[in-house]
Amino acid sequence: MSLTRRIIACLDVAAGRVVKGVRFEGLRDAGDPVALAERYEAEGADEIVFLDISATVEGRRTMLDVVRRTAERLFIPLTLGGGIASVDHAAQALRSGADKIAMNSAIVARPELIGECAERFGVQCVVASIDARREGDAWRVRTRGGRTETSLDAVAWARRCADLGAGEILITSIDRDGGRVGYDLELTAAVAAAVTVPVVASGGGADAAHIAAALEAGADAALLAGVLHDGVTTVAALKRELAAMGVAVRPTIAEAL
Amino acid sequence: MKIAIVDCGAGNLHSLAKGLALAGDVEVAIETDPVAAICADALVLPGVGAFGSAMERLAPAREQIRDALLGGLPCLGVCLGMQLLFDASEEGAGDGLGVIAGRVERLRARRVPQMGWNLVAPEPAESLAARPFHAYFANGYVCRPRDEGVVTAWSRHEDDRFAAIVRTARTVGVQFHPEKTGRDGLSLLAAWLRAAAGAPAMSPAREAAR
Repeated sequence: MSLTRRIIACLDVAAGRVVKGVRFEGLRDAGDPVALAERYEAEGADEIVFLDISATVEGRRTMLDVVRRTAERLFIPLTLGGGIASVDHAAQALRSGADKIAMNSAIVARPELIGECAERFGVQCVVASIDARREGDAWRVRTRGGRTETSLDAVAWARRCADLGAGEILITSIDRDGGRVGYDLELTAAVAAAVTVPVVASGGGADAAHIAAALEAGADAALLAGVLHDGVTTVAALKRELAAMGVAVRPTIAEAL
Repeated sequence: MKIAIVDCGAGNLHSLAKGLALAGDVEVAIETDPVAAICADALVLPGVGAFGSAMERLAPAREQIRDALLGGLPCLGVCLGMQLLFDASEEGAGDGLGVIAGRVERLRARRVPQMGWNLVAPEPAESLAARPFHAYFANGYVCRPRDEGVVTAWSRHEDDRFAAIVRTARTVGVQFHPEKTGRDGLSLLAAWLRAAAGAPAMSPAREAAR
């Protein structure tokens, strides 16, 4: 008996709307992040991540409202990422109903932000989100949605984030993202071995075998986006398959215990 | 019934307030003044933040909160809120409320914090949950009560068995987040509210605090 492995559904949101195409039958408004988050909860998702990709102050305000409305109806954890660049931003996100905040470009620019947030909110609130691109035998950190190159080695940066007070590492392979060919297992394994905080694998996962491989490589959780939004598969179906493979997952229906 | 959630200055109180409001016919207030909070019919110490900064916030009212809880004010401590009920914590400086004897220590596991859904196994005596269920945890520290008799549900992270629910008199502490534990969490909140509603209307300690 121990922690179950998590499946996390991630939604890109801009100006209050889900950006990537979502094809769900039976949803009155498939672009509404609140409705989608509820739908994923009902399907057995263990967590929801909203990634705010609006670039404006106005968009961020709208995002906080989305978080507030979601938190009124969602009874699983909610993480907000994107655009959080100060302790004040983080406080607003949490106060609006997010349980964790994921920070990416802002902590590369100012690593102390991790510790400041951890001290105020606790390490369990602070997720270091790292976008990594393979370069030879290593991975380089990129920021600003992958547009900006940095001098940081992704594995070393993950370790530093954990040392500074991040309670979880969300590691995204830029090379695999959207490709549906599986997570970058070497990257996942390297990060999982480098830190003792939980690691979430992201980028490229599309089926139960991909998820199982990422967990085997050392991840504690797997993040999915497009394959869920497109209706290629569902969290419930993935969990059934994972359970059949012997992976400990939270049953999607309470009676299944 | 009026429920006060004490605002320790950090984190998501929204979900807990919403969860309580959904779970029972109660009026939920988020209270920044801990002394005002203990005048409610029941008190909730919420779950997010760090031990040191939360206790710093509660320190001026520490004795009054402690007396109110020992005097019979129903209280639910969630995650960090559960840990605040104890004497002290490895996580940060400052005295805890000291309502339950024991210390808060770091989880003895490789992956810390524990983040995710873990099985909670209630003892037969625990009335808030009749059967095992998966609950959402997000904690690096756990409570080690001096008297294990206060533990009414256990969980395990890697090889570390720890208290998932503790209770003494009318004080209940849960290490997980019931407000993030779906249906099972809401039903636990509802059971706690029902038990709290059955508490004596007023105790001498709370009378004095008013």
